[in-house]
Amino acid sequence: MEIPYTVTARPDTGLYNAKVGIWLFLASEVMLFGGLFSSYVFLRIGADFPWPRHELKVLPGFINTMVLIGSSVTVLSAWASLKARRYGWFQVNMLITLLCAVAFMGIKSFEYYGKFHHYSVIMQDGSVLDGHRPSDHPDHYAPESHNGDKVALTDVKTISLNLAKSEAGFLKHLRVSAGADKPYAEAPAGTVVKVRTPDGKEVDFDAAWFKPVKKSYRQLENVRSDLAIIKERIESPAKQIAAMKAAVTGTYPVPFDAAKAEKLAAQATELAASSKDKIKALEAKIAEMEKENPDAKASTLNLQVVGAPLTFLVNERDFAKYNAKEIIFRDDVVLTGTVKNDAIPLNADVIDLRESKDPEKSLVWKYYPELKAPFFKHKEEVTEHFVKKHAEHANDFEKDLDWQHEALRVEIEELVSKEDLEKIEDPAHAINIERSDKRFYSNFSPSRSPYYAIYFLMTGLHGLHVIGGAIVLGYFLLTGRKMYKNNPEHLANRVEVGGLFWHFVDLVWIFLFPVFYLL
Amino acid sequence: MDHPTETPAVHGAHDSHDAPVDLAKSIRLYLKVGALLILFTCVTWGVALIDFGSHALNIGIGLAIATFKVALVSLIFMHLNHERGLVYKVLLFTVIFGAAMMFLFVLAYMDPIKAALAH
Repeated sequence: MEIPYTVTARPDTGLYNAKVGIWLFLASEVMLFGGLFSSYVFLRIGADFPWPRHELKVLPGFINTMVLIGSSVTVLSAWASLKARRYGWFQVNMLITLLCAVAFMGIKSFEYYGKFHHYSVIMQDGSVLDGHRPSDHPDHYAPESHNGDKVALTDVKTISLNLAKSEAGFLKHLRVSAGADKPYAEAPAGTVVKVRTPDGKEVDFDAAWFKPVKKSYRQLENVRSDLAIIKERIESPAKQIAAMKAAVTGTYPVPFDAAKAEKLAAQATELAASSKDKIKALEAKIAEMEKENPDAKASTLNLQVVGAPLTFLVNERDFAKYNAKEIIFRDDVVLTGTVKNDAIPLNADVIDLRESKDPEKSLVWKYYPELKAPFFKHKEEVTEHFVKKHAEHANDFEKDLDWQHEALRVEIEELVSKEDLEKIEDPAHAINIERSDKRFYSNFSPSRSPYYAIYFLMTGLHGLHVIGGAIVLGYFLLTGRKMYKNNPEHLANRVEVGGLFWHFVDLVWIFLFPVFYLL
Repeated sequence: MDHPTETPAVHGAHDSHDAPVDLAKSIRLYLKVGALLILFTCVTWGVALIDFGSHALNIGIGLAIATFKVALVSLIFMHLNHERGLVYKVLLFTVIFGAAMMFLFVLAYMDPIKAALAH
């Protein structure tokens, strides 16, 4: 089928069809990003935390702006080249456009990578320490237990499972020591751990053993519940009669209905007689099932580790709570042993006390006592400078967001000498934050704060647009020659439409750059 | 801005696609606008470092420059300086719906329902 108006303008619109299409599409795109920009404004105005300012490195964003503007010029030149029937120039310009797209995404990935490897600890008092994990340092080996996400529990001899709730998932946290330097290596495939069940049987402790036990427990529970329902029905009339007797002398006395009571008693007797065989059968079935799989008898199943005690390295998101002796999972698995390491190691680079209850007594000073004096000296200098500049705020400068940003959020490199900074940045000198001191711990991923959530959402969606645009433009570059020979104007129009989308992508970035990086 | 008359530059060529095209002229214009955009990107960064006394002013100036840059891109790169009427009609509706959406946002922020119930 011949698609009409790919080259000539449609008389009623005055445009070739694809152009009407792309503008309608761009109109919907404006609404999509408009919605997200208004969400941004809403989040920022309503933020109950200091909205990050200048936290992103400006240079990569700046370079990316240049790259996108450059590619906008080249995509136009590619189109103009087609209009002038210069296919070679079209190819060159389109290729540069695509290289710009690759460069943009490369820089973006570099930025994302940096954020995902930058961590933030919010202390119980609201103080914040940002920094890097020593285990991410290329020259520094740190056992996995030292990366802050996990709690290491060693010497595990007892495991308690709740057959109604527990799943086998906790087994993935089992670690087998692979030598002194890697005490918490992952359990190699095929590692078999033996446990002793309450009746003294030794079994392989793995999902293949656990799943049938859980299934048997469920089946057993079903039969038990069938039995319970029958017994309940037999006992019910007696309970009703007792209630009727009690009601005679109650607050609102109801006369005793002897006829009804007699009828109920008869019902109960009849039911008991007719259900006798069924009850017997169910009881026999239960006894048989319990004998067949004694592990599944009760919901709580306590297991003793046979042989060397086990080590578990548990991700914080997987356990419900823990203390010095045990880790309790969300699905009621209880591991009993000794917590070996639960600290959060960090090489801090930023101290942020804007949300601290009392900066003087901040928990930060527990870990960096040597930075307390320089921090407050810096704060005084900032205050002096600020008050000089804003005399009207001499008495209420502490409420000023700019002052807070300058005085209470400080990069450690501003506070110390180069030698001291090297020491603070050295993985071997990382501080170990006690888990009980932290309120929140995360890398700079969307979960860090609503700012990062909307940052990743909007720049990520924009990045997808860059990829989509590049695929379309790349398609024109790779397959355009045939169309150029047959109908060069058609190819030019295609490139114009693709170019319009590309300019829109540039246009969104023109707003994203100042909004996230500068303002 | 140089509007070609004799030999139309390509940015005006969509309604005269058979006309000869002055490639160099068009590319010169696009390069000039591109350079202007880069210049204003530098200006955006520069003014972000200046303390205007209130951060709100910084935000205002930053957004004003961004709006100017967006105007350059849409008018010149996207040819909105000489497009057919239908495109403007589509964009008019976009503006209306965009404004309505922002108004909804303002409503959410002001929360008139809560205010009304408080009386």
